[in-house]
Amino acid sequence: MAPMSRNITSAPEKGVFPLDHFGECKQLAQDYLTCLEKNENEARPCNDLAKRYFECRMDRKLMVKQDLAELGIDGPAFLASVSGRSSGPAHR
Amino acid sequence: MNQQSRFCSSSASFRKPKSQATAAELGLYWGAAAVGMIGFSYATVPLYKIFCAATGYGGTVSGVETVEVKMKRRAEHPNEKVERAAEQREITVWFNSDVAQDMPWEFAPTQQNVRVRPGQSTLVFFTAKNKTDKPITGYSVYNVTPDKAAVYFNKIQCFCFEEQRLRGHEEVDMPVFFYLDPEMASDWNCRNIDDITLSYMFHRVADEDLEEEDLDDNAPTLIKLHGPGIPPSTLTANSQLRVTSLSPAA
Repeated sequence: MAPMSRNITSAPEKGVFPLDHFGECKQLAQDYLTCLEKNENEARPCNDLAKRYFECRMDRKLMVKQDLAELGIDGPAFLASVSGRSSGPAHR
Repeated sequence: MNQQSRFCSSSASFRKPKSQATAAELGLYWGAAAVGMIGFSYATVPLYKIFCAATGYGGTVSGVETVEVKMKRRAEHPNEKVERAAEQREITVWFNSDVAQDMPWEFAPTQQNVRVRPGQSTLVFFTAKNKTDKPITGYSVYNVTPDKAAVYFNKIQCFCFEEQRLRGHEEVDMPVFFYLDPEMASDWNCRNIDDITLSYMFHRVADEDLEEEDLDDNAPTLIKLHGPGIPPSTLTANSQLRVTSLSPAA
């Protein structure tokens, strides 16, 4: 029985990013992209710049204000800080 | 062989009455079997749905959980196996961009790929530039391949489905904020997937499809959505945001 090969497309959870028509956060976007290039396109080292870009958007009402950690930008580090344990192998 | 000959001999001695009785019984049994098989073939539809929902086979999305809910669940009840697998796995997300034939925009990703770990949200950009003099409205649709990985790809926020208007010669950054479920790292079906491709395509909204208000260049851009089942909540999320007013003189 072959599985149905459908394209799974759904609306984005937080909706649509309003366009930054006036380029207010463009410089921060550039900084982030430069960081990506320097790190061979690895996303994790550039997290702080991504956060600064989002903060810029939030300040200019181009994004709903929200704690970015809730959206998973820190990934496992956020989990460790919330649950108060190290993100290493389990201690049973 | 011995059993067979025993059976044959017993049926030979009781042939006539037994065969008459068994003919009716056989008819009943076969009839019941036929009805059972027809019933089962009807039952496979809901059974398959339950199976897919339980196992996620074929890319079925099991319920709609937002990233915040998922992160909270991970924080409160972390699954060590999943977290460890996600920590060690690196996925490369590639980007693809297209425009429809009648769409005079330059649309491209700003990075060819990005290396991410499941369980951590990532920001990426596309840029779009209107090559003509007049304002042009477009909307984009997206696609994630392979299908097996698409079920783990969560788009937190992006620029798809909504009509976007660019003034003549305007160039703008279009961010995409996405999250890959950490469960992907421990999914046996996805064990060989190290690359995911995110493709966007921009379509043009013809001027005749735009309403009167849209053609009035001084009016703020109205939000119109193109796409399957956009929940009304996306509109309320945007309602407190500034709606840009575009004027041709700027």
